[in-house]
Amino acid sequence: MNASYLSNLRPDFTPFELDCGKIRAYSFQGNLQSELAAGRINPQTAADLLEDMLMVREMEEMIVKLRTGAYEPLGDFNYRGPTHVSIGQEAASVGACGALTLKDHITSTHRGHGDAVARGCGALRAMDEERLLRRIPHSQASSHAELLEEALEEHVYRTLAELFGKEEGYCKGRGGSMHIADFTVGHLGANAIVGGSVPIATGAALGIRYLRTGGIVCCFAGDGAFSNGVVLESLNFAAQYQFTNELAGDYRFGMPIIFLILNNHYGMTGRAEKEVSGVRELARRAAGFSDCNMHAEIVNGMDVLAVRDAVRRMGAACRSGEGPCLVDVNTYRYYGHSLSDPRNEYRTREEEEAWKAVDPIRTFEAQLLECGIVDQEKLEAVRARVVERNARAAIRAAASPDPHPADVIKYMYTDTSAEEVPPQYKTPAIPGELPVIKRVNGEISYRDAIKEGLIEEMQRDARVILYGEDVAEYGGAFKLTKGLLEAFGRARVFNTPISEAAICGTAVGAAMVGTRPVVELMYMDFLLMAGDQVSNQASKWHYMSGAQVEIPMVIRASIGGGKGYGGQHSQTLESLVAHVPGMYVVYPATPYDAKGLIKSAIRDNNPVMYLESQLLYGEKGVVPEEEYMVPLGVADIKRRGNDITLVAWGPAVLDALKAADQLQQELGVSAEVVDLRSLVPLDTETVLASVEKTGRCVVASQCVTIGSYMGEIVSTIQEQVFDYLDAPILRVGAKNGIAPQSHVLEAVFLPKVSDIVQAAKAVL
Amino acid sequence: MVRPVAMPKLGQSEEEATIVRWFKKEGERVTKGEILFEIETDKALLEVESFQEGTLLKILVPEGETVPVQSTIGYIGEPGEPIPVAPALAKPAKKVSAPEHPAEAAEISRPAGGIRSRPSREVVEAPSAEQAALEAPLPTTKEALSIFRISPRAARLAKEAGIDPSPIAGTGPGGRVVERDVTAYLKAQGYDQLRLTPAAKKLAVRENIDILKLPSQGQGRITVADVRAAMAERPTPLNRMRQVIAERLSQSYRTAPHYFVTVSVDVTDLAAFRAELKAQGKAYTLTDFIVKAVALTLVDFPVVNSTTDGKSLRWHSRVDVGLAASMEQGLVVPVIRDADQLSLEEIHAAATELTARARAGRLNPADMTGSTFTISNMGMMDVENFTAIINPGESAILAVSSAQQKPVVKDEQVVIRTIMKMTLASDHRLIDGAVAARFINAVRQRLEETILWKRLA
Repeated sequence: MNASYLSNLRPDFTPFELDCGKIRAYSFQGNLQSELAAGRINPQTAADLLEDMLMVREMEEMIVKLRTGAYEPLGDFNYRGPTHVSIGQEAASVGACGALTLKDHITSTHRGHGDAVARGCGALRAMDEERLLRRIPHSQASSHAELLEEALEEHVYRTLAELFGKEEGYCKGRGGSMHIADFTVGHLGANAIVGGSVPIATGAALGIRYLRTGGIVCCFAGDGAFSNGVVLESLNFAAQYQFTNELAGDYRFGMPIIFLILNNHYGMTGRAEKEVSGVRELARRAAGFSDCNMHAEIVNGMDVLAVRDAVRRMGAACRSGEGPCLVDVNTYRYYGHSLSDPRNEYRTREEEEAWKAVDPIRTFEAQLLECGIVDQEKLEAVRARVVERNARAAIRAAASPDPHPADVIKYMYTDTSAEEVPPQYKTPAIPGELPVIKRVNGEISYRDAIKEGLIEEMQRDARVILYGEDVAEYGGAFKLTKGLLEAFGRARVFNTPISEAAICGTAVGAAMVGTRPVVELMYMDFLLMAGDQVSNQASKWHYMSGAQVEIPMVIRASIGGGKGYGGQHSQTLESLVAHVPGMYVVYPATPYDAKGLIKSAIRDNNPVMYLESQLLYGEKGVVPEEEYMVPLGVADIKRRGNDITLVAWGPAVLDALKAADQLQQELGVSAEVVDLRSLVPLDTETVLASVEKTGRCVVASQCVTIGSYMGEIVSTIQEQVFDYLDAPILRVGAKNGIAPQSHVLEAVFLPKVSDIVQAAKAVL
Repeated sequence: MVRPVAMPKLGQSEEEATIVRWFKKEGERVTKGEILFEIETDKALLEVESFQEGTLLKILVPEGETVPVQSTIGYIGEPGEPIPVAPALAKPAKKVSAPEHPAEAAEISRPAGGIRSRPSREVVEAPSAEQAALEAPLPTTKEALSIFRISPRAARLAKEAGIDPSPIAGTGPGGRVVERDVTAYLKAQGYDQLRLTPAAKKLAVRENIDILKLPSQGQGRITVADVRAAMAERPTPLNRMRQVIAERLSQSYRTAPHYFVTVSVDVTDLAAFRAELKAQGKAYTLTDFIVKAVALTLVDFPVVNSTTDGKSLRWHSRVDVGLAASMEQGLVVPVIRDADQLSLEEIHAAATELTARARAGRLNPADMTGSTFTISNMGMMDVENFTAIINPGESAILAVSSAQQKPVVKDEQVVIRTIMKMTLASDHRLIDGAVAARFINAVRQRLEETILWKRLA
């Protein structure tokens, strides 16, 4: 035990005034001339910023026109996607992306066309010829300028193809406008869930910080998002002292992330000011999460140079370990939430006119002319180039092939796993002593089997990190991770705030940038706190990105029940996870499977929900010390039989085995027990083969029966081997109720061995 | 407003009817009085007019389906109006092909009493609502139902073995036939000892021929030829009309003690008179004369124009003569009302129309009910003589055979005359032999008296 960790608080009630510090607003008072003079920008970069803003606007005006058939190059094209345009906000997207480097990452929002175009353009302009050629390998360009021009057009083309749902879009038409991503330039995805990308960005920063790969994350999110729980969790997560104080040892490095509030003043229509929040300036949020207010500033979002200046300075801070930062970019959305929003219910035309008067493109054009970087003729040429480039790309995109209907669920899962560990991550340094797991006659407990699997995988691959509530010194609520902190150090094993959404969401982002996080939900009931991050983010990104990215993460969740903990700590909820496609779900019933499955789960490149039964933690079984794996998606016949099949998972497997003994003794009936082990992928083959043989089946689990995955098993059986059935298939689960605290009631609530026996007898 | 279209109830005895054809599709306009659909009942095909005006919004009962009369078979209303949720349609499925298993057939032909009910555990044990909500609904496994029940696995085994499982006693839950029952049955029946060619087995399985019921071929193997023979001998169900005929005539023959009285009628003069009338453009049939003669005679013999249930006698005040007519599917008996009151010309007109409609299968039930006496005329069929079964509800029937040229003794000379035999079948409960003899001779006399016809024509 590290003595310095031990808390030694004293009661101290001396009066004092809490100083919340100051947050600067609009400190940038420069202009293009002064920036040029100071050498912070060169004329070419200035011209590029204008062109990028023009590209964003041209694309979004095209979307507006497409809806009315007014976009001449595509008069008849039926654009079916969303119309969340960001016209008016170009300075924010372009200014911020103009301050990023190739190594950096962004996450974006449902109003993310500008961010996507700007990040792509910024990255392309920073690329050398070799990198550009990698993107457009068939180019015949003879100069860097030509190559860049082709790459820019290709960028517009692939963006539009994605908006149009085409196979050649960045996400192969699987994501579309609200989920566009280009992982090759560090665009980790727009996000149609307000606030949904913020923990992902935070996790990406966590991953970058841990892997020390350099780069920062610029997390774009709107003012509406900054009232969302997971966003507030993420701000807190990013600002944790443990990353910068003595707990971080010699790597005191703040989270390299800029939370950039695209503050256009309206959620969908609800106003942050004076309506749906209690602060006049959203930047004040920063004061709630870090003693240095996250270096927060308020910036003129209609001035591309002001945004660029802020993000450059904050980026530099993040790169030197001073993050996280927060910047409140004051900007404006000329259109409504979407084109179906007339805007007149909540704001005046005079307000809109006032903002249009400080239009970021027109004001910057004026500065470029003033500084002589462009003349009128050159300006017209740039505008024409942008318009023509967009038109060519749009025509191509509209005519490009649609995804093949047969591929509707292609990219749901990846079939890859971390078979080979890259050299730099092999055999990581183990700063402490590995916990010793004692065997008695070759047996260890289910708890230790999982722990042993974790230890082996953390030894094997430095990318594996482990975090969750109270997992460090305390060793987890069930003492499963006890000793891992001491062995592997706080960089790889650390506590988190009680923020389940941020725990799961950061794992998604961390996985996206190359780590293999194993996170813990103390009770599966808390999964519901993290619903969006598990179901909409972790499960969906491989598919929505068109298989650009894999999410190799494991969520370990313990399942209660039978301990008198009542309705909110006793639920068996795997059916919920199994219902949302995209995540694997495994639930071992024996120590042997527990170790083999955790190892497979960690190595698999799909997100895996790994369920642990609190009831089984103490169960002993023979577990080999040498390396072995239990494959995902392979059921196990735990007992052979001919007369009836008992399909079960989790603790119900042990009940089914006892029921099988009883059936043998009482009736001479030989029951076959199939342990699913994995719910997703489901090993239908083993189940069906068994039922084909026996003709009878009882499905048992601890799930509440109604709507549970047991029904899915029953349906699958009757659909596929109906003619082999000799009796109806019965389910044995918990009652269709809520787990009661009362021991007497809970005993009735949960399924028992006798229930399985009774069900079997009813169909024999 | 949406109104239901009901299956009409056409006669007292009708319980169900089959939709033969819809003349309108869903979505088409229907005017009042327009023919909307055609049905087939026990007795006839019938076109049914719409009572309503509007759009045929929904057809609930498709062509070929049989439903109880007065069931809702569709809805008429205005486009866009919501269609009420269809009440559970009682549907005794009518299978045209041979039922695979008699027991199954028994199950499906049970009278329409709503959807076959599956008594659920909840209903049987009547637990509290909370309990019912808590419990996962368990399939019924314990209730003994009178229907033949067989598990999919056992059914598959029986099917693959090519046997009819209906004789098998089930030992599964609720008496369901399960795999072990089929296995035991096959063993008990010596299935393994059967020798049959693979092709024969394949054919038997495909054609649902019970291999166990194939005649044993001694030492030889059962071959495809044996299966084909069984296929040919396989009973096919009677059509609806034949079933009705079978039931009614058997009932009549069982309850009414029949006896038969035959006379020979000399129709030479009548034939000559008929030819004479034909030359004048009045083409009466022999039947027209017979109907008239019978009708007139019935007025004189009310007991022959009566009904009994074995306990009481009911005389009919009207003379409604049924004419048995043969159709492709069976027999119909259209009725000439008040035949005693009609002129020969009117009888001819009525008989011609009814016969034509009968051939086309377009008689209304009303056209075929309420005859008081029936004539069955096989004159066109070149028969010497035959007897007939009394139409239920009547006391006698006259079977008329072919008029044939015969040598007969007349005025002590053998001469060639046209002779037609008639046989009266009488219900002995009402009609004694002497009455029958007098009646049939009175008819004979009328037919032979050309003076009468000259007056009547």
